[in-house]
Amino acid sequence: MVEDPEIIIRRWFVAESFIAVGKSLERVDSIEKVLGRARFVEDFFEEGFLVARLALARIPHARIRKISYDHILKNPKVHQVLTYRDIPGENQVGYAIPDQPLLAERKVRYYGEPVAVVVGRDPDTVNSAVEEVVLDVDPLPALYNSLEAMERQDILVHEALGTNIAFKTRVRKGDVDSGFSKADVVVENTYRTHHQEHAYLEPEAALAIPDLENRITVIATIQYPHLGQKIVAKVLGIPSSYVKIVAPYIGGGFGGKDDEGPLVAARAALAAYHLRRPVLLYYTREDSMQIHPKREATVIRYKSGATQDGKLTAIEVTIVHDTGAYANRGPFILWRATMHSSGPYYVPNAKIDGYCVYTNKVPQGSFRGFGNPSVQFAAEAQMDQLAEKLGFDPIDLRLINMLRPSSETITGQMLMSSVGIYDALKKLASESNWRIKRRMYEESRAGRFRRGIGVAVGWHGNSTSRAVPDWSNSYIHISRDGSVSVYTGIVEIGQGSPSSSHRQLVAEVLGCPFEKVNIVFGTTDAPDTGATHASRGTSVGAIGILVAAGKIRSRLESFLAEYFNVQKEEIKMSSGEVVVGDKVKMKWEELIALAYSKGVDLSATGYFFLPKGVFNDEVGQGFAYPAFSFIAVVAEVEVDTFTGKVRVLEVHPALAVGKVINPEAVKTQVEGAIVQGLGYTLMEKLVISEDGRIINDNLTDYVIPTSHETPVIREAIFVEDLWEYGPFGAKGVGEMAFIPMPAAIANALSHALGIRVTELPLTLDKVYSLTRDSSR
Amino acid sequence: MYYSIPKVEYYRPKTLEEAIELLLNIEGSKIVAGGTDLLVDIKTSRAKVRALIDINSIAELRGIVDAGEFIRIGAATKLQEILESHTISENLPLLRAAIESMGSWQIRNLATIGGNLCTASPAADTAPPLLAYDAELTIAGRSGLRVVPVSKFFTGYRKTAIGYGEILKEIVVRKSNWTKWSYVKLGRRGGFTLSIVAVAVTAKISNSVVEDIRIALNSVAPTPIRAYRAEEVLRGKKIEMKLVEEAARFVAGEVSPIDDIRSTSWYRREMSHRLTLDTLSRALGVE
Ligand SMILES: Cc1cc2nc3c(=O)[nH]c(=O)nc-3n(C[C@H](O)[C@H](O)[C@H](O)COP(=O)(O)OP(=O)(O)OC[C@H]3O[C@@H](n4cnc5c(N)ncnc54)[C@H](O)[C@@H]3O)c2cc1C
Repeated sequence: MVEDPEIIIRRWFVAESFIAVGKSLERVDSIEKVLGRARFVEDFFEEGFLVARLALARIPHARIRKISYDHILKNPKVHQVLTYRDIPGENQVGYAIPDQPLLAERKVRYYGEPVAVVVGRDPDTVNSAVEEVVLDVDPLPALYNSLEAMERQDILVHEALGTNIAFKTRVRKGDVDSGFSKADVVVENTYRTHHQEHAYLEPEAALAIPDLENRITVIATIQYPHLGQKIVAKVLGIPSSYVKIVAPYIGGGFGGKDDEGPLVAARAALAAYHLRRPVLLYYTREDSMQIHPKREATVIRYKSGATQDGKLTAIEVTIVHDTGAYANRGPFILWRATMHSSGPYYVPNAKIDGYCVYTNKVPQGSFRGFGNPSVQFAAEAQMDQLAEKLGFDPIDLRLINMLRPSSETITGQMLMSSVGIYDALKKLASESNWRIKRRMYEESRAGRFRRGIGVAVGWHGNSTSRAVPDWSNSYIHISRDGSVSVYTGIVEIGQGSPSSSHRQLVAEVLGCPFEKVNIVFGTTDAPDTGATHASRGTSVGAIGILVAAGKIRSRLESFLAEYFNVQKEEIKMSSGEVVVGDKVKMKWEELIALAYSKGVDLSATGYFFLPKGVFNDEVGQGFAYPAFSFIAVVAEVEVDTFTGKVRVLEVHPALAVGKVINPEAVKTQVEGAIVQGLGYTLMEKLVISEDGRIINDNLTDYVIPTSHETPVIREAIFVEDLWEYGPFGAKGVGEMAFIPMPAAIANALSHALGIRVTELPLTLDKVYSLTRDSSR
Repeated sequence: MYYSIPKVEYYRPKTLEEAIELLLNIEGSKIVAGGTDLLVDIKTSRAKVRALIDINSIAELRGIVDAGEFIRIGAATKLQEILESHTISENLPLLRAAIESMGSWQIRNLATIGGNLCTASPAADTAPPLLAYDAELTIAGRSGLRVVPVSKFFTGYRKTAIGYGEILKEIVVRKSNWTKWSYVKLGRRGGFTLSIVAVAVTAKISNSVVEDIRIALNSVAPTPIRAYRAEEVLRGKKIEMKLVEEAARFVAGEVSPIDDIRSTSWYRREMSHRLTLDTLSRALGVE
């Protein structure tokens, strides 16, 4: 019997033919979701439950003197108002740095910061009561500009730190001075990128249901149930094992519910803990937009040098992230941006400095791409300018420098295998008619409507950064009727991994019928599987499922071999048909009945701890990620020079993401990310007023793309550069297509206009002034 | 469930007279048609309302009638009905073009033309075509009907000529041989969007001479506007690109745009010039 995870992973890694894996099986939940049958948090609300909303700070920076609410409690429909004083455990929820309270204490650091949980009998009551919570404060001057905040000592967002720089990163590789001295051309620019709101269909919500002995169940919009469990336990001062988190179907996450999910769960739990009744806490759209962290807003200074024959000699980069009032996951985002700042190219000399800076704005947080879209926007703009100066085609210059198997990254990590981006980009160049279109648009650069074509490449480390531990875990058990229950902490946030690709994996490994597999997802009843973030749901997230299923498969094979006295190689199990040697044939259900009667253990956990290397933070050198996913896209745009309106006409993606478990599911991720990236680049823009308030906290004023803006998206090119630890060699996909979109559109627009775009978003007025510059 | 609006009284009268009486007798009452503006305003507390008087059951407020010389559109007619009407597409193509770009199918099936005019948003999309057609609005009150030209209807930012206890009854457009027209709406995205600037142009041409022309815009002033001075530049003249350019420049002088969440005043001024140039060129067939 094989129980060793590495051997199980290897067995399916080298598999050559597949039954379920690699097929576009239709999503099981799609029709029912369209019919409105899937239940989201609010759908679990029942008559008699209490409701809650958060009272928010209406000032960006202040010292709190008093929070008054006694007058509200006179209303019998208001049950309670809870502030930091009511927290029985710790009022500390910072993920990377302990700098963030669950409810404001002593200070308010951004407009919209949660101050109190108001619990009442009905929504009308709490809707008006939240407006009546009085925050008595001493106002402090507020900082909104990250570059200014870095320099200021007199205004501090977090006094105890003595600086507004929350976190720093660095890379020192080779010698940049000598690198630049060898360069024939040098390009230097400052790039600016902006916040982005997740705008998920379902705003944050949590329903907390108290049980005996302070046990509690929280149904929440959350991307990592076990992290929610940990935070709720910490806030309430109870053991984690007393907290059960359930993530039902979730209306979109994109990272936002990775940050805010545990906090909304903890705030609801706090209310239920005190009131001993079920409480539904709900964020309105406006609350959601005011409260939850946003995509990084950055200023990136980037200098790169290359020789006449197109080889990069050095890069020097300074990255400043505006992390807002709290570090949240800002340090991790900055870390990722720093270690990816070269793009997927070999760069012998690099000096990178990153700064995560506090301001009095909404915090920076996790969002599809996690620090990478902004830095690839800068890196890929640099590549285009180097190509132009050197007289190279942009794709050729990229290919010259592209990472390949056995190349070294900027952190000095040697990538032995699973580096398929070179082939992917080459294929993309020919299939997208890149060269012909590039020339054609250049030659017709006149008139009102101009077209351009641009390329951008992106890479994204799989798993957590550095040596930060990462694992996969799952539990499988087979019932007597042959049906298979799989327990995973991975959640269903619209991507469909638990509802389709995980089932495919199990059906493949066990050889059981697909319909017999039930994935019990998004629950702390499963072993801690890690978060559904970082593109890991089907890659790292499913390794545990593969291992558990592999163990049971091996037990069944050993049992059959012994029982029928055959070699294991003579056993075939697929799609519910079991063949043993040339005599015995049976159904999967019969096999399970037999195994039960003969004492075979049909429950197994699957655990895998990802092997990692060492990293030296002092010089930013060493093992950064166990593997990288890669993508390249070619985008074509048309700009109306009369109005500055940019239309993305066509996007052609090429991915090197290892084994594709479900092509249809990958396609939906790629298409969704392309449109989300397009919206970010062209129209989405958070507007913050002088008093620090997000003015456009609704979807009338904050516009996101619609089907009208959706370009033609070509069939993706796949280079299956298998990753040795991924299930069947799969790597992460979810974030990938977002990453190169800002760069690709900006490069295409720069091509159309013949000038360089360095700042996002490319709104009508901005592009219009660019076109005027270009015609001058 | 957190978006329940505050409790209000609700009436659904069957006649215009009944509606007017309710409006006069109940303090804090307001007309609701599609509710696509009003309910949003109630939710955000921009409008405080005690009672809603729903006019959707008043038959005489609904429908499109081809009355020979005139076309009458009931104030409570749904935008989608107007979009699908042959009478409209044959006679008032500008109005059709404008409505086509409004909201979504779902919104257009609730929203009414009267509601769009009575909200009097500077960005109201039915306003530029109706201004260009010089539509007349019939307003009903306790003492009967009165008629106000649409050019006098918008009296200020979100203000109209509708008085206390009055209801917009219908929109009347005289049929005319406006042979040329063009409409452009610029928004932050391709569809389902409020305008940054929209321009409607309609013209009568004979022998390359502009017999008559009307130019109207939205989102560039506190109310939707007619660009009278620009019209003057062209009226009675032979079509020439130079004149068209001059007219467009005049438009930029007639607007008074502001900075807001959708755009900047500078950009709107630029666009009122450029898009007028664009629509005029298309309508008049010059380049
Ligand atoms: C998602 C969305 C998209 C939208 N897109 C657009 C767009 O693209 N372009 C655009 O211009 N608008 C748009 N709107 C705004 C709105 O839909 C329109 O203005 C619509 O025509 C309003 O009509 P209604 O019948 O819904 O008005 P209501 O909300 O019912 O009423 C609006 C106001 O007019 C008053 N009123 C209504 N009828 C009468 C009457 N007969 N007499 C007197 N007073 C009356 C009401 O008391 C109220 O003050 C959009 C709105 C939404 C929610």
